[in-house]
This record gives sequence, C-alpha cells and structure tokens, in this order.
Amino acid sequence: MDEPAILTRTRAYVLDTFLYMRPGVALGDRDRLLQKGVIDSMGVMELIGFLRSEFGVVVADEEITEQNLGTLADIARYVAGKLRNGGPAARD
Amino acid sequence: MCGFAGIARHEPRGVAAGTLDRMAAALRHRGPDGCGRYAGERVGLAHVRLSIIDVAGGAQPLGNEDGAVLIVYNGEVYNYLELRGELVAAGHRFRTRSDTEVLVHAYEEWGTGMLGRLNGQFAFAIYDRRNETVLLARDRFGVRPLFYSIVRGDLVFASEAKALFASGEVEAALDPVGLDQVFTFWAARPPRTVFRGVHSLEPGGFAVWQDGRLRCGRYYELEYPEARDEPAEALSTLDGLLSSGVSLRLRSDVPVGGYLSGGLDSSISCALAARESPYALRTFSVTFDDPRLDEREFQRLVARELRSQHFVQAITPGDVAAVFPDVVWHAESPLVRTAPAPMYLLARLTREHDIKVVLTGEGSDELFLGYDLFKETALRLFCLRQPQSRSRPRLFDRLYPYLDPKGRRGDFWQRFFLEAGTPDDPLFSHLPRFRLTSRIKDFYTGDLRAALADSDPLDELRANLPSQFPAWSPLNRAAYLEMVTLLSPYLLAAQGDRMSLAHGVESRYPFLDHRLFEFAARLPTASKLRGFREKAILRRWARGQVPAAVQERPKQPYRAPDIPAFFTPEPVPYVRELLDESSLARTGLFEPRAVAGLARRCAAGLATGFRENQALVAIVSAELWHRQFINDAAPVRPGPLPVPDVALADGVGVSS
Repeated sequence: MDEPAILTRTRAYVLDTFLYMRPGVALGDRDRLLQKGVIDSMGVMELIGFLRSEFGVVVADEEITEQNLGTLADIARYVAGKLRNGGPAARD
Repeated sequence: MCGFAGIARHEPRGVAAGTLDRMAAALRHRGPDGCGRYAGERVGLAHVRLSIIDVAGGAQPLGNEDGAVLIVYNGEVYNYLELRGELVAAGHRFRTRSDTEVLVHAYEEWGTGMLGRLNGQFAFAIYDRRNETVLLARDRFGVRPLFYSIVRGDLVFASEAKALFASGEVEAALDPVGLDQVFTFWAARPPRTVFRGVHSLEPGGFAVWQDGRLRCGRYYELEYPEARDEPAEALSTLDGLLSSGVSLRLRSDVPVGGYLSGGLDSSISCALAARESPYALRTFSVTFDDPRLDEREFQRLVARELRSQHFVQAITPGDVAAVFPDVVWHAESPLVRTAPAPMYLLARLTREHDIKVVLTGEGSDELFLGYDLFKETALRLFCLRQPQSRSRPRLFDRLYPYLDPKGRRGDFWQRFFLEAGTPDDPLFSHLPRFRLTSRIKDFYTGDLRAALADSDPLDELRANLPSQFPAWSPLNRAAYLEMVTLLSPYLLAAQGDRMSLAHGVESRYPFLDHRLFEFAARLPTASKLRGFREKAILRRWARGQVPAAVQERPKQPYRAPDIPAFFTPEPVPYVRELLDESSLARTGLFEPRAVAGLARRCAAGLATGFRENQALVAIVSAELWHRQFINDAAPVRPGPLPVPDVALADGVGVSS
C-alpha cells in the first residue's frame, strides 16, 4: 500500500475516533496531533491498535515517538516504511 | 449537623411561616431530628436539626438572654467549651450546653471578631434585631455550605440551593459561566455557582446584610510562609496537632465512627480516634469488584489492627448508575466523575448502623502534598530547567502508577506534561488537568459556545489570585490552587457534605484543623515531598501508629467506575433517554451528533480513556441536573412540610 492510501485511511480513522465530537475542525496532514488536542497518550495506544489491525504493522515501544506518530503525514511515512522494509516480517 | 435557610427583607413586609417551612422541607435530609423557625417582619429563619451536641437543649433558632440576637447554624465549633469558659468569665449567662449558644454570646461579645476564634466547620446566620443586621459566615476551608441570592432587594440564603428555589422567591436558571467552570476545574468557583444569581459564600468569608445591602468580607486567607528548614520540634508539633485535631472532633454526645479508605490519612484519623474514643470505633469502607479501584486488603488490615467494628459497602457499577440521579440532586451540580456515588452509599450504610458522625481523611493530600499532581509539577519544572536532557523526561513514566501502564509512558506521555504550559504561568501546576478536563467542551453546542464567547475561566482565575501568590514556591502555589479549585468546591461539597448529609451523616475532618494547615504551610517543601515520596513528614510520624504496609503505601487515588456504570454495554434505560437526540436538543448544552458518537464508542467498549469517561459523566450529570433543577418549573421534590418544634415570631414567645 502506498503512502497516500495509508494517509487517507488513517485520516478517516482519526476523524472517526478522536474528532467525532469536533466535526468542524480542520486537520492538516502536518498538524501535530498531540498539540492540537486530537490525541493523548491513551489515544496513541488506540491508534497503535488500529495500525496493527488495519495495516498489520506492529509498533515497537521505542518507535512510539512524535517523529513516527506525531502527524498524519508522519504516520503514513512510518507505516509505509515499515511495510516496505519489514514486508511480511512487520506483520504479526 | 443541620441545615438552615432564611430571608431578610429590605422592607418590613414579613416572611411567611409557610415559605420558611417549604425551605426547611427542602433541607430535611440534613436534619431529620427536629426543626424550627422564626418568622418576623423583616427576617425569617428556618432550621432543620441533626442532634449531636446537647441533644435535648440545642433546638434552633436560638436566641440570647433577651431574644435580641437569633442564630441558625449548621456545623460544629470544636473549641466551644474553651470559648464558653471565656464568655462566662466575661459575664455571659448560658441556658444550654450547646455550641450554638456559644456562638450567640461570642457574637455579642466580639461581633465579627468572633470568627477568627472559632475552630470548626460551620456556616451560620445571626440576626441582630437591635440594628436589623444579618451576619452570614462560613468556615475557613468551606466544609459547610452557604448559598445566597439577592432578589428584588431581599436576601435569600440557605445551606443548599434547592431551599432557595423552594422559597418560591429565587428562580432556578443556568449560569453558563458556572457550568464552564465545572468543565474546567471540576466545580464552579465560589462565589459563582451553576445557578444564575445564586452565590456561594466563600470559605473563610462572611457577609453582613443591612438596609438592603450586602457587604462581603474575609476573616481568613490561605497563606504559605514557608520556612527554609524544618524546625527541630516539627514531629512533636505535628503529633500534638494531630492528636488535638482528632480529640476535638470526638466531642459529641453521640458515637463517632470513621471512614476508612485503606490509605494513610484515614488510617491515621481512625487510629487516633480508636485510641481516644470511649466506644469501640466503628469503621466504614467502600469496596469495588474492579481490583484497580479496590482497597479492601488495606482496609481490613487497619480495621483488624484497630479492633474496630468494620462495615463494608460493596459497590458495583450498577449501584453507581442506580443512585446517580439522587447523587446529582444532592450535589446540585453537574459532575465529571461518579466518585460521589459510592460516598452517597457509604453514608447510607453509616446511618443504617446508627452512626451520624464520622471522621474522614480529606485535606491531608493538600496539606502534605500527597497527590501525583504535585510530583508532576516538580518533575515538569525539573525537566524544563534542562530541556535538552533525554533522561529527565523518563521520570514521567513513574507518575500515576495506578493507571494503565500502556498509556503512561513514552514520548507522548512526556510531551503531554512538558508542553502543557510554561513556569511563568501562575496556573502552571494545574494546566495539564485543566486542559484535560476542558476536552469536555468539545461536546458543547454552538449556542453554549456563543454564550461563553467572552468568558475564559483560566484568565478569570489568574486575575483573582491573592497578591502574595507569586511569592510562594511553585509547589505551594499548586497546593493553594488545589485547595481553592478542588478541595473546597468539589471534594468537600459534591463529594463531601452533600453526600453525607443526604443521609444525615456529619463528616469531620481532622486534617482541616486550621492549626494543622498553618503548621503544614510553614514547613519547607522537602518536608512534605521528598523526591517521589509524598507526605514525607506524615509518614515519619505514622511509623508505629498505623500498620507498616499502610505507612509505606504510595498514594492510591479514590476512583469509581464511570462509563462502565452507564453502559453494560448497552446504555442503562435512563441514560438512553437522556442521550436521545431530541432530549439533548431540548436542553441545548451538548451537540447531539457528538454525543451519539460518544455513545457508540461507549457501547462498543472503545471509550476507555480519561477524556471519554469524563465526557460521558459530564453529559449524563448535566442532563440530569438540567431536568431536575432547570427544566422543571418547580425544582423541589415534594416532601411533607415539617411541624416546627420551635416556632418564633415578633412579639411572640417560644412555643415548642
């Protein structure tokens, strides 16, 4: 799966899960999810569950960083990289 | 413990006995043992009584020798015997053994200067017929409530807002700014309430009504004159203050019991009470099936050691849902946690075992820096001093050990705290909590947002901090904010007074003896929070006083099931009805589509974090509250009007 497709599906998930109560909010691909109040550390755990079930990507503890998961664009890049580099090994 | 109400007219047009009786009926749960009233031309007073001291002689309203000064009073003044001695020496004559009469004579002797002499938890109204004034006053920390409203030039006051509405003279309407404060701080900040035009007398405050005008003042301010070093005699001073604080609070003509959470503070108060009580102490605890909330192991340990008669109220999520409407009715406010519900059930159990006075441990965490919020503040400052450090932020992983470990570690967890605000903000310590609580506002309707367009609860709090605040240490600033935003208006109110008095049980707080507060406020911070060890000096003192496992036990916050109480996994019937789109639209507070999204996630078991738990409790409680107080044309539950034991009127003597 390519990066734009990952981004589209992740965006839909984030809007549905974390922003269902703020339907009018504009969320850019590079908006920081934590700073914008979209996600907190418990939400990150839920997001990680989504990445696993949706893309088969297992996020290691040391990979739970803002660099990898801070914005929608970061997530898409990180997931695409995992799928590319890890291939089936990235799957559970 | 009791309840009272009254009306002071700006013109002498009388206060009808029937009005006073309706106000008393609304407060009957606070004082089921008796009631009385005074119906005069200018002032009317009503009282419901829970008999604790001078069971036979303490009926109210109570006057001085010639009836020129009348009082209605709720609470206890623990040093009343000492004050009585002073007043007798000054020539005052007493007819009863009650602390109430001591207040009447103290007023005659010292006027408002009496307030600083009182050690206790109280609210009262004194009508002085000589100069046609009414004095309202409230204890230092706001243990006992006192609400008032000024309507067409008349002052209407009562222990609970529902009695104001029962008078028929005060309208129950929403104050959106008060509501917004609840969804920022967990409670409206006195003098504001969630009812438009209804004010809460500030803790440590008083007000004098004369000639149609109300003049408010303060007799007590929280101060933190922190010493550089711990005094050599600190432990012995603490020992004396704790013993005296408990001993004074055992003054009662009925048996005193103890609430036992299983933590350090309630174990200390129960241990000291067991030592001094002439009765076998009865202790009362709540337990939960959920092991993350349950503390029964420690409760049993302490009860065994104290040889108390121990009683347990087991709490299921279904119990919380079943009593929650009553809880909101008594709390008179929307809530962000269900935690008051188990306290409501505990008070019921206590009363069923014929105990109407209990000691309880609140206040200690604020005095001795027990909450994780204080560690969090110290740690945020520590990290921000060296922002490049990568090792310092890892210490955040040690905070809040009782939360799900998956959600409380790593980059996002650390950044949540580090990016919440800067140390130059006076609210620095509380910004993470205030911001987290404020996520509830994501569910507001556009109309409610518009009504709040000019209001910022954080700016308003910043603008109302005491002038000495900037000079205090960061942790003392945090302690102050905790006292004024959470302890007084929420823990002692919605979770304290209102829950216990719903069943006629008086809670007493040894840690909120003002002498102990002043001692703790003078201690250096390191005596209280030493690294990650909270309440350090209290733990040093407690060695040998309570079981070692409790003495060393880290702080376990008291929590109750929130979403699991209301979704099992389908919503319980009344919640389904409250969250219905048309029902929400009628109330107008929360966006129905947003609430539907939350309900979907609750039913699917996906809503597990703080945000959604607090949002659901906020929405359910606000909808209940709105229906109980605002939508209803007469927000008073019908109850029988009391037959007064004492009925006084101008020119008429006492009949009883």
